[in-house]
Amino acid sequence: MDIVTSLTDLCVAFGPSGRENGDSLTFPGKGASVLELAMSQMRALRTAEGVPFFQTVGTDRFGNLIGTHLCGKPNAKRVVLDAHLDEVGLVITGAEEGFLTFRSVGGIDPRMLPDREITLLTDPPTFGLVAVLPPHVQKPGAADNSIPLADLRIDAGLTQAEAEQLVGTFAVPRGAVTSLLNDTVSGKAMDDRAGFLTLLLCAELLRDEALDVDLYVMGSSREETGGEGALVGAFALEPHCFVAVDVTHARTPDGPKEETFPAGSGAIVGIGPNIARWMSDRFIAKAEESQIPWLPEVMAGNTGTNAWRVQTAREGIATAVLSLPLKYMHSPVETLNLGDLEQCAKLLAAFVKDLDREGGEFLAD
Amino acid sequence: MDYLTLLQTLNACHGPSGDETDLAETIRTLAEPYADACILDTMGNLIVHKKGSGPRVMFAAHMDSIGLIVTHIDEKGYLSFGKLGGLHPENLLHTPVRFKNGRRGVVSLRGDIAWKDMTLNDLYLDIGAKDEGEARSMVEIGDTAVCDMPVYELGTRLAGPYMDNRISCAAMLEALSRIKEHTSDLYFVFTVQEELGLRGSKPATFSIDPQYGIAVDVTLADELDVKGKGSSVLGGGAAIKVMDSSVICHPEVVKILENLALESNITCQRDIIVGGGTDAGSIHVSRTGVLTGGISVPCRYMHSPVEMVEAADVSAVAKLIVAFAEKTL
Amino acid sequence: MLIDTVKTLCALPGVSSHEDAVRDYIREEIAPYAHRIRVDAMGNLIAEKKGRLPGRKTLMLAAHMDEVGLMIHTITDEGYLKFSTVGGIDRRVLIGKRVLVGSKAISGVIGLKAYHLTSAEEEKKVPKLKEFYIDIGAKDGEDAKAWVRPGDIAVFDSDVLTFGNGFLKAKAIDDRIGCAVMVELMKRDLPMDCTFVFTVQEEVGTRGAFGAAFSVKPDIALVLEGTTAADLPSMPAHQRVCAPGKGPVVPYMDGGTVYDRGLFRLLRSLAKEHEIPWQTKEYVSGGTDAGAIQRSRDGVRVAAISAAVRYLHTPSSVASIADFDHILRLAELFIAAVANMEE
Repeated sequence: MDIVTSLTDLCVAFGPSGRENGDSLTFPGKGASVLELAMSQMRALRTAEGVPFFQTVGTDRFGNLIGTHLCGKPNAKRVVLDAHLDEVGLVITGAEEGFLTFRSVGGIDPRMLPDREITLLTDPPTFGLVAVLPPHVQKPGAADNSIPLADLRIDAGLTQAEAEQLVGTFAVPRGAVTSLLNDTVSGKAMDDRAGFLTLLLCAELLRDEALDVDLYVMGSSREETGGEGALVGAFALEPHCFVAVDVTHARTPDGPKEETFPAGSGAIVGIGPNIARWMSDRFIAKAEESQIPWLPEVMAGNTGTNAWRVQTAREGIATAVLSLPLKYMHSPVETLNLGDLEQCAKLLAAFVKDLDREGGEFLAD
Repeated sequence: MDYLTLLQTLNACHGPSGDETDLAETIRTLAEPYADACILDTMGNLIVHKKGSGPRVMFAAHMDSIGLIVTHIDEKGYLSFGKLGGLHPENLLHTPVRFKNGRRGVVSLRGDIAWKDMTLNDLYLDIGAKDEGEARSMVEIGDTAVCDMPVYELGTRLAGPYMDNRISCAAMLEALSRIKEHTSDLYFVFTVQEELGLRGSKPATFSIDPQYGIAVDVTLADELDVKGKGSSVLGGGAAIKVMDSSVICHPEVVKILENLALESNITCQRDIIVGGGTDAGSIHVSRTGVLTGGISVPCRYMHSPVEMVEAADVSAVAKLIVAFAEKTL
Repeated sequence: MLIDTVKTLCALPGVSSHEDAVRDYIREEIAPYAHRIRVDAMGNLIAEKKGRLPGRKTLMLAAHMDEVGLMIHTITDEGYLKFSTVGGIDRRVLIGKRVLVGSKAISGVIGLKAYHLTSAEEEKKVPKLKEFYIDIGAKDGEDAKAWVRPGDIAVFDSDVLTFGNGFLKAKAIDDRIGCAVMVELMKRDLPMDCTFVFTVQEEVGTRGAFGAAFSVKPDIALVLEGTTAADLPSMPAHQRVCAPGKGPVVPYMDGGTVYDRGLFRLLRSLAKEHEIPWQTKEYVSGGTDAGAIQRSRDGVRVAAISAAVRYLHTPSSVASIADFDHILRLAELFIAAVANMEE
């Protein structure tokens, strides 16, 4: 797998929360949606014999993408590996003199918005730009204050009548993926498309292994607005255990040292009440055994991932969190070290291999 | 449709969050002629069933209103109260209220607090009791009270307390009376405790297990007093929900509703609000997920005693409910 | 075609004091049409073009080649780049943007502590410029120094595109539009001799124009610029200045110059007579090279024609393409009018 190309394709594709599948009112051709793209990436994964790794690849009505790889054993335990495909975005709420008012979808960082180029998800997609006042007409000191999102407007070069037609249209930041030095990439939606690619890379590493569990790889929807996709997806799949692969904060010069991880730290293993202890123990043991660089992320409460709601779904589900260190989260320049992505995939593969045989007694029936 | 009379009937009942039985009874009586079955579930949701062989479709309108609940009676006979749902002190001050048993009261502010600083805890209820003893003979701690102000017409508009959400209940009742042929298995649910956090609709949805869910509620109109918080306006027709704080509506459902409106010549508008949620929020994540949308009545002055709606919008909402109910899905 | 020249010029890097790429391109374009070309000590490109007649006046046209950008001043031990702004930039528009650093055009992003790690109080305030940094993906300071140096320029990484109802989005529309108009004029037959000056360092205080005006010694100077449009709904009508799509902007005054009244009236009447849409600046703001030219030697009569540009001094500014041809036409008419001047 060409990681940079696959990651770039994923990140550039459109898919704000609630509109991951392109199956919408005013949306570009299906091929441009993240769900369609991710689906084709899943279907392309083959074993050494050229057989598709995923026996079925499909979507449910909530826009979750699910690929199944059954091991062939009767009554095999079900393992779900999840990464969310949705990204933060905007939706148009009104028009004022041809400029568009909007609200956020998921927690887009409002400080990233002044003079931000966006793509409006019309068919075909159109260009827009978040308007700013020039310095020349501002009071001294105005630049010291962030502009609240509600005061911002989008300029799409439209008349008022044209703008009014766009109420209800979703939008995402316009952005390419840029390669920086040292295997670092920067772009929108690394959170959590990089996590999804980690799942595919893990599947690739396992493709010629005989597994003893039924594997479900899920590209979930709507994580950024509250994890509804993974919640209903898990309800339907009834997993014995569930791993959310997401992102966590990498260290930046202005960030707190205690809550961040240096880029290049490898796989970040979640520890806390939201994570089944046998699962985090297994991740750590496998990392040590395989000499995969890792660090613990202690989260005493809500992990802020799909694991939170999935853990209390149905009869209760064993959940774990594995994360990639990411700088500038929820900005259009989220920055990731590709080495960390590869280490996470390796660790995930080691976790899944021989899971029933080695972890069997902890997997509740 | 005579919305004024229907609203007066509904508002005359007692139905704040958690204390809806009185209202449920009245709605049941109004709905029964058009239903195959009417059930009251454990939480008090009223489920009106019109049988069909097709997919299960659930319409939900919450019947509860915001209100007050008595928490304390002091030595002078004044009452302290807690909030049922989103109350704002500036909407309560000096309004008259009434209890289930007919007792009346007025809300006032403790003297040493400045207007601009007032919080709900600074307000109290005066029920005209001369002392604690008399107060205790009139009401009990845990009794609930609602706003006691009339509904009236202003031109083609209606104003009064609890348009949120009695106007939607009225639209649902109107729709119920107009449905002719339908294949879908229809459930019209008048839910409880929405104002406390969408509590009634969650178990109702779980038990019905519908394929489609439509929440019927009011939505914030983009008007003089709350600019920029919503995309709908009074007179713009039935507000087809795209998104609010609790849900992103399924694009398929939004499409179906918009096409139905177009085909049947029903005035409609797309609705997105920045704050605020509805029963759709709990419906859409039930079990393996429900295809969910919303049809709303644009409303001004939300959660005040003078909430205002446009009659033509209500009529459009009722028509759209009928269209969706009669559609073969 | 004018629009193609504008697009090509906007794409070139040319932050104040590093205008080389822009100057080289323009020089090559105009060389076949110029009688004499020279580059002065500051880097201004000065081209003399003969017209049908010498003309009774010395006429100078001016547009600046430089754009605003960033300059690296420190490389931190962790490998991040600290920078200053070159020209006036509202630092809020820098957050989360992409840049190209140095002569090797190394990709970088202007980062900011993640939203989730920022308190509600912190979110309301914008960090000081000295807290901003560019991330090029360097492992540490030593690694970074292999690729960039203090003094390197960082230019906005922003592409050129058209959108909506005939709008152009690009960096540096201010003042590549002025340069493009001058390049097109140079390709035409003109009624009188003209000197075209492509100035440097306008954005840091109209600094190239001082020396250029002193050496050219014009009687009349026409400045072709990009000027700030603030036509957003949040602005009251009396502060919107001007708007893209309403035609060339002919100012009577800005923050640096009160334009020659006679020349202002001339431009206005030329526009009306030839049915060219036009507007003026309805708020006093900004400044142009005219500020340096007007007070040169014993004084120069100055006029200006500008394009109304939204989001000036950001990576993504916007102008109306229809305005560009009107500006070119009005400038051409102005030259003809000056050629006919008695006194």
